[in-house]
Amino acid sequence: MRFPRSPAARATVAALLCLLAAGSPAAAQQATGRVQGVVRVPGTQRPLAGAQVFVPGTGIGALTDGAGRYALDRVPAGSVTLRVQMLGYAQAERTVQVAAGATATADFELEETAVALNEVVVTATGETRKREIGNSVSAINAQEIQRAPVRNAQDILAGRATGVNVLSNSGQPGAGGTIRLRGNNSVTQGNNPIIYVDGVRIYNGLTPTNVYARQAVSPLNDIDPDDIDRIEVVKGPAATTLYGTEASGGVIQIFTKRGMAGAPSWTAEISGGFNNMGHIGPKEDKTGMWLNRCRGDGLVTGTGVRFEDPTCPASGSWLRNGPIQKYGLSVRGGTPDVTYFLSANYGDEEGVLPTSGSKDGGFRGNFSFHPAKTVQVALNSSYNKRNTRWIPDGNNASGVMLNVTRGPDSNFKGSGCSDPDVVCVNNAEIFKSQSNTITDHFITGFTVDYLPSDRFRNKLSVGYDYNQADITTVLPFGFLRLPSGQMYWNGWRRTLITVDLASSYRLDFGRDWVSTTSAGGQLFDSRLNNTAVTATNFSGPGKPTLISAALRDVTDDDRTRVINAGFFGQEQIAWKDRLFITAGLRVDGNSAFGESFGLQPYPKLSASYVLSDYDWWPKSTVETFKLRGAVGESGKAPGAFDAVRTWSPIAGEDGQPAFTPGQLGNPDLGPERTRETEVGFEASAFGGRVGLDFTYYKQHTFDALIAVSYPPSEGFLTNQLENVGQLQNTGIEARLDLQFLRRPNLEWSGHVNFSTVNSKALDLGGQVITLGSLARTYVKEGYPVPGYFGKKVMNPDAIADPIIEDDQYLGSAFPTKTIAPSTSITLFRRLTLDALGEWQLGGHLLNAVAYQNANKGEWFPCVDVQKKMAAAATDPSALNGVTALQRARCTTDGTVRDYAFWVEPTDFFKMRSISLSYDLPANLIPGARSATLTIAGRNLFKITDYTGTDPEVTDVRDYSFARRDYYNFPTSRSFLATLRVSF
Amino acid sequence: MWGTQMKATRLAAVAAAALALGACDLSVENPGPIPDAELNTAGAMPALVNGMSADLSVAVDLMARYGSVLADELAHSGNYAAEGYFYRGVIPPENVNDVWGDMQRARWVAEHGIDRLKEVLGSGFESSPLAIRANLYAGYANRLLGENVCDAVIDGGPKQPYTEHFTRAEAYFTEALRLAQAQGNTALANAALAGRAQVRADLGNWDGAAQDAALVPTSYHFDAIFSTNTERENNTLAYETQTRREYTVYNTQWAQNSNKDPRVPWDTVKTSAGKIQTGQDGKTPFFRQMKYKGLDAEIPLAKGTEMLLIRAEAALRKGDVPGAVELINQERTAYGLAPASAATLEEAWPLLQKERGAVTWLEARRFGDLRRWFAASGPEKNNFLQGRATCVPISDEEMHSNPNLGG
Repeated sequence: MRFPRSPAARATVAALLCLLAAGSPAAAQQATGRVQGVVRVPGTQRPLAGAQVFVPGTGIGALTDGAGRYALDRVPAGSVTLRVQMLGYAQAERTVQVAAGATATADFELEETAVALNEVVVTATGETRKREIGNSVSAINAQEIQRAPVRNAQDILAGRATGVNVLSNSGQPGAGGTIRLRGNNSVTQGNNPIIYVDGVRIYNGLTPTNVYARQAVSPLNDIDPDDIDRIEVVKGPAATTLYGTEASGGVIQIFTKRGMAGAPSWTAEISGGFNNMGHIGPKEDKTGMWLNRCRGDGLVTGTGVRFEDPTCPASGSWLRNGPIQKYGLSVRGGTPDVTYFLSANYGDEEGVLPTSGSKDGGFRGNFSFHPAKTVQVALNSSYNKRNTRWIPDGNNASGVMLNVTRGPDSNFKGSGCSDPDVVCVNNAEIFKSQSNTITDHFITGFTVDYLPSDRFRNKLSVGYDYNQADITTVLPFGFLRLPSGQMYWNGWRRTLITVDLASSYRLDFGRDWVSTTSAGGQLFDSRLNNTAVTATNFSGPGKPTLISAALRDVTDDDRTRVINAGFFGQEQIAWKDRLFITAGLRVDGNSAFGESFGLQPYPKLSASYVLSDYDWWPKSTVETFKLRGAVGESGKAPGAFDAVRTWSPIAGEDGQPAFTPGQLGNPDLGPERTRETEVGFEASAFGGRVGLDFTYYKQHTFDALIAVSYPPSEGFLTNQLENVGQLQNTGIEARLDLQFLRRPNLEWSGHVNFSTVNSKALDLGGQVITLGSLARTYVKEGYPVPGYFGKKVMNPDAIADPIIEDDQYLGSAFPTKTIAPSTSITLFRRLTLDALGEWQLGGHLLNAVAYQNANKGEWFPCVDVQKKMAAAATDPSALNGVTALQRARCTTDGTVRDYAFWVEPTDFFKMRSISLSYDLPANLIPGARSATLTIAGRNLFKITDYTGTDPEVTDVRDYSFARRDYYNFPTSRSFLATLRVSF
Repeated sequence: MWGTQMKATRLAAVAAAALALGACDLSVENPGPIPDAELNTAGAMPALVNGMSADLSVAVDLMARYGSVLADELAHSGNYAAEGYFYRGVIPPENVNDVWGDMQRARWVAEHGIDRLKEVLGSGFESSPLAIRANLYAGYANRLLGENVCDAVIDGGPKQPYTEHFTRAEAYFTEALRLAQAQGNTALANAALAGRAQVRADLGNWDGAAQDAALVPTSYHFDAIFSTNTERENNTLAYETQTRREYTVYNTQWAQNSNKDPRVPWDTVKTSAGKIQTGQDGKTPFFRQMKYKGLDAEIPLAKGTEMLLIRAEAALRKGDVPGAVELINQERTAYGLAPASAATLEEAWPLLQKERGAVTWLEARRFGDLRRWFAASGPEKNNFLQGRATCVPISDEEMHSNPNLGG
């Protein structure tokens, strides 16, 4: 099927070309000198690494090294203004006299501050000072994560920015998580934020799930954390309007490290450690659901069924310490005209279960050069290869959790037991299946900054994101549960081409007024190739391929191409550099829109007012204060071809070609739109010792795309998208930064990120959206999106029989409140303790493991209850002390038991990381300029009343939006030692 | 400032680039799904009719599974929540969205496919075997619905008596018979006769049913087709019993047969310890049905042996016990079984009901038979459904989405 060419795409391309044609530089030759110096933190005199030192309006600049040193060569002779900036520090500026052929020295001291209004962030129109922006932008810099034991890019986001919620989904190494910015504002179109890496948009979803692991890999995690310079998180439609359709879930911008002028600076890093799992499952269960202990005492169910597993490892536990090793090497350097950053990394992480692990490696090359004085070109490329070795997990009859935790009811019955009267299981057979997801991720792109004058700025980014995954599961010939063997293969390739142009022109009116006009456009060409084959019945043993099987079934073959293109215009009026009014309009076209939809406009309006710039402002107490507010729209396009009525080709009559009704189609389909209003302020007080960033937001999604079901009696069984719904999200975000102490030998700071998300479906066109009936997860008018609904015990704490009501609201599926405190203490400028914790509150999860295992007498919290319930048949007093909720949950009466009783609050606190770093003396390692030794722990402990294994897990294959804990492996803790040396 | 010449050069470059890009392919693609209008070609008609067959097989397969535990054919020995309810005789409307949808789709594609066939084939419709098949699939889809659902709903319309499906089925079978006879296609004519005999019986027209049934050879069968070719074509009842152990023969009337009745074959599986394997639930003894051993095992839609039993039931309804027993024994002989005996209606009805149960075992027929006998008041009264659901209700999805049902 082919569609007419997109007029919006053409218009955008033409606009891009017109803007590209604007002028070319003329290089000029002149006398130059050198400027060098050191950047430090005042008071403690701690050298500051990674600060940007540059000459504004030119391409001349450098980053400070580990000792805080910088050097700028080929600086034009004469009076030159140098500016120094770094995330988390107040900008500094000074004028230096540079003599031709001579070296000038300029040292700087950067004040640590929670609110730096002149800090530059990147918006859709280009680089902008924070003081000009009317919405909240969270930024995480390299320093924040350098000492933390982050495993991947997803880990960086957890707890470090307000409005960001990260759920890890699984404890398997390599598993991708779920990321939400300000909650869910779409029922059907996904809520993943869009992601840019160095201006190149990358695929923001997960790979297809591995059918046996029930988990997927996140391409976001292919970005090596050590390569990341900073991450900016733009959270709502009011801020993402100019990013166009698909941006209503927010935008995450990742900027990787750049080169700096000077001699090559090498950084080598080596990490070693191990993953370790503590006790699994309810504390009443001393065997840890027979995972912690699979030999010896306790191999008996609550109903007295004994079992034995001769294949249990000699250690007596299925769990092990999984070694972790990681190596990284990078070099950066260059001349004033050409800089480079090169890096390579390799990591190998074993899981805590046999055969699980993840191995990855990659390299990056970032280059920047000035082909002319007014032109800077940056080329950024990276490649990552990852092999994730999964364990069979989740809702999988051959899964580890599903079988081991069921004791004698494992599907892997076997032989070799010493006692003929026990049930004999051979769970080691589970690990003979091999599930892998092997990914290749290549990102490349270039950015051209053309600055013909201080007033006129142009930026063109062109990029290519290439993702490929080879996803396999092999049940070898002779596998206990399927002796003839089976192989699943999924070949997935996803590419995304980005063309992004933004230009702005600044015009001064008198002394006080400045107009900045911006325009630009973007074009995204997204292609997907996905083929899945199931092959069954191998001819014999040996390592199989698809053709080793007698039966081969192509179960999926997608080859789609979608183009999304748009252009924008923005006008900003500034008054005295303290009041900024910005109005913008984005216009988008998308091949998914129905015939009745053409271009879609998304407007925005924002204001920023820096009150602390007034003379009357009490600067002695509150030195910085900015009020801001914004209202804007963004949208989400429907699926690529949701507007069209189709039939699906199938096979019937034993392999004969056939058709079946596919999709009903809707010619009136358009994007859903989210309008957001946010207001807030940023303040810094007491000399930067206290910072507060506060935001209130309200999002209203209208024309929400809801999958409306049509009568099945009309033949088409798939639901059809319609623009019928309205959703709402409100919340607050606050970040509190505290500098408790700033002494030469003691620095102590703390931060608290606090976010709330209250979502509600306002109107669903009368529909109840079923996201997962067995997950008891629905979207209903008047309730959070999504929520759990079902049977509820109305007298949970009463010592009585349960009173059960149908169709009750049971709770929000996603957390509604996040509190993430962190602290950092530095002693003697060398020893630093960092800690980050996180509370996630208000969420719920269906504990399907308990539901299933309780019915088999294998859920230990129910064992005593079930004995009392059995005894009550003859002695009703046996139930004394047993609550109604316990009776409902633990009953084995099929007419009573229900998944819904096991929807539990997931309120938890997790100690995300603790690290202790020591900056080694420079002379300890010959030739080293700096060296740091870090000992760290990740996910060290959790506090929760959730009775399942982990409140963050979910079966990704079962549901994309609903969440259900169905035998998914919990997250483990990790211990790491890292040595980082710079030469 | 740009010079005039420079400006002209750049504009020309832009124009050239724009032209070049204009020539680029910016169209979007989604090969695979077929737009509705593109089906209106003669070449697509065989696949359209194959699709009717495929959708009918999917519906028969799922109804055979659900029907087995709703009736007295199998017991539930697994973890599936829906089957847990069904086995207890409870049918929550939210748990039948799948089977209701599958059965309705099978009916819709066949009925509307006939209209498309007529439009596309024109005068060729009368001479096309596809026309016979399409009418047969429409007939059997309606029969499947009529025998299992509580109410009929046609194309998003209002609720009607379930017998509407039998009326429609009879019309489609009659049309199939006319076309088959005109085309000299004996095999498909038998399929039409057998189907019409079934629905005439369902409508209470026992004379008409017996007349049609008498014309069908005992050895004849017309099947829903299954295959290992693709997963969608699999007989999932075979998977759920041969591989997963979700259903068991244990604790049913058939478990008493000690595996002697070739119409109801089952066996047991032993663990390595020599004990009988339990079902997927870990506790119910697993007796494995062996009627469908593979994923490609066909499920009969109509059989000559069932025709004998339709005639036997027609005879019983006239009080002709010897005549009925004679027909029952013809059926038993066809399976190599010794003759049975019954002297009175009170003896003959249970015999007939058990014979029908054995002959149509796991063919998505028993639940409908039990409803028919449960509704009766004479000696044919069967109380298995006492206190249990007697039919598949309109699904939640239909109720919520069909404006004629208040959705």
